[in-house]
Amino acid sequence: MEEQLKIDFEKLLENSNFSKKNAEIKRKNFDNFIEKGFPNRREENWKFSDLNQIISKNIKNLSFYNDLSKPNKIDQSIYIDGLEHNKLVFVNGRIEKIEFDYEEKNKIEILDDLVLEKSNNTTNSLLFLNNAFVSKYFKLIVKKNYSLQKPLVIYNITNKDLVSKNINLKVDIFLEENSSLKLIEFSNDKSTTNFININYNFNVQKNSILKNYKIDNNSNSNIKYCFNNISQDANSVSEIFLLSSGSEFIKNEINCNLNGKYSSAFVNGVFILNETKHHEIKTNINHIVENTKSYQLIKGVLEDTSKAVYQGKIFVDSKAQKTDGYQLSKAILLNDNTEFNAKPELEIYADDVKCSHGSASGSLNEDSIFYLMSRGLNYKEAKKLLINGFLLDVVEKITDSEIKNLIKNIMSLKQ
Amino acid sequence: MLKIKNLKADVESKSILNNFNLEIKPGEVHAIMGPNGSGKSTLSNILSGKKGYDVSGEILFENKNLFELETEERAHKGIFLAFQYPLEIPGVNTNIFLKTSLNAIKKARGEKELDAIEFLKLVKLKAKELKFDEEKLNRQLNVGFSGGEKKKNEILQMSILNPKLSILDETDSGLDIDALKIVADGVNSLRKKDNSFLIITHYQRLLDYIKPDYVHVLMNGHIIKSGGPELALELENKGYENFN
Repeated sequence: MEEQLKIDFEKLLENSNFSKKNAEIKRKNFDNFIEKGFPNRREENWKFSDLNQIISKNIKNLSFYNDLSKPNKIDQSIYIDGLEHNKLVFVNGRIEKIEFDYEEKNKIEILDDLVLEKSNNTTNSLLFLNNAFVSKYFKLIVKKNYSLQKPLVIYNITNKDLVSKNINLKVDIFLEENSSLKLIEFSNDKSTTNFININYNFNVQKNSILKNYKIDNNSNSNIKYCFNNISQDANSVSEIFLLSSGSEFIKNEINCNLNGKYSSAFVNGVFILNETKHHEIKTNINHIVENTKSYQLIKGVLEDTSKAVYQGKIFVDSKAQKTDGYQLSKAILLNDNTEFNAKPELEIYADDVKCSHGSASGSLNEDSIFYLMSRGLNYKEAKKLLINGFLLDVVEKITDSEIKNLIKNIMSLKQ
Repeated sequence: MLKIKNLKADVESKSILNNFNLEIKPGEVHAIMGPNGSGKSTLSNILSGKKGYDVSGEILFENKNLFELETEERAHKGIFLAFQYPLEIPGVNTNIFLKTSLNAIKKARGEKELDAIEFLKLVKLKAKELKFDEEKLNRQLNVGFSGGEKKKNEILQMSILNPKLSILDETDSGLDIDALKIVADGVNSLRKKDNSFLIITHYQRLLDYIKPDYVHVLMNGHIIKSGGPELALELENKGYENFN
């Protein structure tokens, strides 16, 4: 693979017009990636999901260079119906549409010139890979005091032309003071066995609100990693909801820094997995200053031989007095061959804090099924009602009612 | 309506019911009384089709062999079990559950399903009759309900589904006297010439309000004595220990 990486990296530099500075940074990141390689289970963060093994098992002849010169057709039938929204459409890693029809043009700013930071003090090899190979970049700035009228939907589409490729995307969202954004990420994959590596950076300034809904619902054979870095100033709120269901493998990593007083972060997610799917949610919620709050609720329903992992970390700095941190994870295992791994971690250096965690997993309650069947529902209907009921309270945490309804529809939770 | 012949039931090779015989005709109310561990709940579970029992013998419901029917098919045919311990079902709205249940039964019978408005009209009427707090119908099924509310909810379900044979498994346990009266009124209002009841209880108390046609004493897995309502009083006076 190393040989392929080198060939593809040189091809990328040759065929792109990167600035000298960017090219230098890219080479540095490339070298770092070559040195570290794909993460494996010897790293604590990856102990339940050995990406190196997952990639070599699922993807034959992975290649890293992606020709973005020709436009791709957008399959418009996958657009979300019944919800007015702004659009950013990626097809096979190429930006095919940027449409902000509902917004005041001087209140938002869109940049697509690739900006790479010289020093990012990361040790995350997948960020090295991303920085080395990313060529398309999208940055949205929401100006002070502006709330987007309509949600932004980022469509991440891959079509059947894409096979065994590595795609790297980089999206930055900057919310200036007192602004707000509702962001839906919606993936639709008809491609086979690619490795898709996405890097989101969210900067949420004072009094701003970010609502981020990630929907991975259609079944596909791709391997995905999505790293979300969130920085929050005073009084800001971030709300994340993950529907983790469709991809063969996806790890959503959320690193959230609560840097300002009275900032709060909510991470809610559901795993709905079958067959051999293996999904992970990894969070690092860092309470850096006092009076910050975090809340995490993760639920999973696992079938066949699927596997879900939740590693939830709450870090409380010694300065972060009056922190309120909470996390709970629960899973229903529909048969004996499924696996749910939960690793709650609390690292607390302050003494006046309120932090709690819990985790539970088990099978469906047969007595409850009997109760529902005695009222005329067949086994399948009874099971579905119980599972939907189990998942519903996570979906109910979504604060935007229009998007909540949309997600209920997608999950067939409508009662 | 219901004919049980020589029913035998074991759980993990432990005998619970043996040589159990009972016949219930349309419109009749039968009460089965018995001490703890006599097999009362096993009987109601088997009638509703709960798995986990080794059974032999015969149970005919309207001349159909019950052992050939799944739990939900028995419900479609008109068998209803009011649970001794109704389960809490998180995330499932009570109203939606009631409608799903009623329409599943109607659909299986080839009857027209109720739309939301027709259903709400029906459920409001029934809730009022049973003095069941309507607000609770919008809550999750039985979640956070008191013991009495759960039992009342069972009777509400019964009155909405209007079954041919209702089995009440210790519905009176855990009820205060007011709730007991409401539950009894609910049952009495459903008494018709085609609807039958099998009331399973420890105590004679409930039978003050629901007059049974027959009382049976269940001990050691089978009926040891049958009689009229006076048998319940006799039991109350003597206790199970001295009864034979």
